[in-house]
Amino acid sequence: MFYVPKDAIFKTVSRRKFLELGGGAATALGAGSLAVGLNSTIMRTPAYAASSDDAKWKQYAGSKLVFMSENTPPSFAIRDTISKFYDLTGIEVEVITDGLPAVQQKVGIDLQSGNADFPVSYVQDKPIGSPFADYYADLTPMLSDDTLPQDPEGYGDGVWFDNFLDACGRFYDRDRLIALPYDAAVANTFYRQDVFEANSKDFEAEYGYRMEFNEDTTWKNVMEFSAFLKKRRESGADVPYGYAQHHGTFAWTTQLDIQRMMFAHGRWLDWEIDDKLGSKTPPPSNWGDEQSVLLMQKHKDIADVSHPDNLANGTLELNTVYQAGDIAMQVQYHEFAASIEDEKTSKAAGGKTAYAPCPKGEASWIVNGGQAVNGCNCGIGGIGINGNASEDIQRAAYIFCVYATSANLQYDVLKGLGGTPTRKSVLEREDVKAARQRPTSMPNALTFDAVYDHGIRDPHFVLGPKVPEGNEYHSIVAAEVQRCIAGKASAEETCKSIKSQIDDLH
Amino acid sequence: MSGENVSKRHPIFTADAWGFRASEQMPETINRSPSKLFYVYLMAPAIALLAAITIYPFLWLIYMSLHKVKLGPVDDKWVGLKNYAKLLSDAKYFEGWVLLGKYSSMCLTFEIIIGVTLAVILNNSRFEKPLVTLFLMPMMVSPVVAGLLWFYLYNGTFGWYHWLFESLGLLGGASILGRPETALYGIVIVDVWQWTPLITLITLAGLKRVPQDQLEASMVDGSSPIRNFFSVSLPNIFPFLLIAILLRFMDNFRFIDAILALTGGGPADSTKLLPVYLFDVSFKFFKLGRGGAIAFSLLVVTIILGLILVRIFEDPARKQAMSAQD
Repeated sequence: MFYVPKDAIFKTVSRRKFLELGGGAATALGAGSLAVGLNSTIMRTPAYAASSDDAKWKQYAGSKLVFMSENTPPSFAIRDTISKFYDLTGIEVEVITDGLPAVQQKVGIDLQSGNADFPVSYVQDKPIGSPFADYYADLTPMLSDDTLPQDPEGYGDGVWFDNFLDACGRFYDRDRLIALPYDAAVANTFYRQDVFEANSKDFEAEYGYRMEFNEDTTWKNVMEFSAFLKKRRESGADVPYGYAQHHGTFAWTTQLDIQRMMFAHGRWLDWEIDDKLGSKTPPPSNWGDEQSVLLMQKHKDIADVSHPDNLANGTLELNTVYQAGDIAMQVQYHEFAASIEDEKTSKAAGGKTAYAPCPKGEASWIVNGGQAVNGCNCGIGGIGINGNASEDIQRAAYIFCVYATSANLQYDVLKGLGGTPTRKSVLEREDVKAARQRPTSMPNALTFDAVYDHGIRDPHFVLGPKVPEGNEYHSIVAAEVQRCIAGKASAEETCKSIKSQIDDLH
Repeated sequence: MSGENVSKRHPIFTADAWGFRASEQMPETINRSPSKLFYVYLMAPAIALLAAITIYPFLWLIYMSLHKVKLGPVDDKWVGLKNYAKLLSDAKYFEGWVLLGKYSSMCLTFEIIIGVTLAVILNNSRFEKPLVTLFLMPMMVSPVVAGLLWFYLYNGTFGWYHWLFESLGLLGGASILGRPETALYGIVIVDVWQWTPLITLITLAGLKRVPQDQLEASMVDGSSPIRNFFSVSLPNIFPFLLIAILLRFMDNFRFIDAILALTGGGPADSTKLLPVYLFDVSFKFFKLGRGGAIAFSLLVVTIILGLILVRIFEDPARKQAMSAQD
């Protein structure tokens, strides 16, 4: 091949020999890779997988999954302890966390483009589930597959808290299940009982009833509490503002903010559809009717007596305002209780805050008939599997879903970072029961009476609307409600504008 | 090749092959310009690259704007000009244009005035180098980080600037981003803070190129420094200002990172400039066809406005020379 002097120590390698060596090396490398690959996935057989519990967990050892999730406590906890899952299954999982809008965009592009870069993802019910439900794998066959590990508690509606499985798992079709409940953010009222007690006497002198908050407290009461505190503050008293709403950059939390007030009054809904299942073809909406106009006006009236920076505060900033001691009430998601009870960062900690269901509808504000309820809504985060992934990847992802929604893990997260369980059995543990009263080592448990025993149960629970154009719907509602609150449009104009825009969507 | 020059050994050893020729043997065409084709060959790789990274997406944008586009294996559906027609009845689209116009003109005005003033002050000053370094710092920050930084500074609960504005009586309890009337100013301030240094830097480079003899002649004629600036310096820095304005104008039409971090387009859509709305339509609502139509209209207007700007700011000296030639 090359010129070699006659007296050279090393002999030349012929071209044929070189090709033989190269071919041999390539064959060996290929065979090795194939062996590693087969060992990790394809060598699994149903018989092997069903042979023992250990085999079921380990049948995809060597595989790799990526889990894209919102930056919530369970995801942080899973990421921090992912080695436990690896030890159990041999499956490597990369947990990527981001803000919900970014998760929505990344997951949306992955699912719709036919890729499976994120085989497992967070399915927040409305922002992710509603528009992309069709792209997730149906979990129903896997739930009863005896070659896969299964949770001993099972997955029926009864093992999860009321309505959770419907909220994040079922979209437009009751026979398909696309996600298992993984974490929950349920609205309830956080209020400063120290402020209420200190001002109750003066309030009673002016309004004729005590300043206290319980499950019968109405939206009208909230408005009056806020008006009273604002007046006192403006006259120089050292009291916080009464209330503040959810606005800021998260359109869907603004929508939830107006929705729970609307639902509280006669269980008003945007569309006459199955609220828990949603609809791909909703009829013309109810916006613009007398009830919606009246309540939009009341929503603005409450805004007028709320914290002056009302329109700047998204959900996170609103919680900061409460932590800073600037407001006496907020309707907030129960996962935030842990931050409120942290004495290092919150002026509302140390027993000053109490928790109650969301305010009830005011009977005199109901014009369409119907019941006054504690309109309570939520964001239930499910965990779902990308329908574009191969069957083996879907099965490996299912094993991770089973692990991520197990009661033991939820209990650990609740104890550690302040999680929000979705399985009922977690609340049956003795230390969790005890934690529902002060002093507590699990601050989120202080909200459980208001949330799990009341708010999420019918007739108070409202979920929807689940519609495919949900994200544009949220954006429209948020912008129009903010316009009304800013005084740029009347309540009637706002409701009519919402109706014309969202009726045009579908 | 002449017969005498042909070597009997090997052609490579001929004088011709090495280019050694008697001067009288030099061909007449030795200094002739290469053919046009030669330039085409030279530019071909660059053109191919440009086509791949610019022209293809541009054509794809037009295609999307004429279709109902779904990601993935589903076939796109031809809808003709329906996406454009829908824009005509889309109030948010027109509001987006109005807001973009206001935002861009406010940003450019403040950035040019402050940037040029700073450059004039800094030019040849004693502390020019350290001050320029200091002023450039905001520009080095990523726009999204700048957005977050100001988001916290403006915060009504703990923001230092909010406290300052409130103490000065400029704001009430609501923060600058919390009122539709002021939110636009809030995002303009961030843009001005971050990008004025670019104008300063470019103008400073222009001021270094102002002919000293012209300045001295003007001074000898008794011009004041202000007259000197407007009559000598400013005409000389026009080409530099044009570059600065063009860059910033196009950036204002494209950059939404800071706005997304600051307001996300709210409150009440008061900062939903057209590019922010485009982002929403394309990546929140995943309506890529409608997004394509918005993007194409934005691109066309950007090009037209760019051309107008070039015309306005064309080097006055060059214009003068051209008219003299005519």
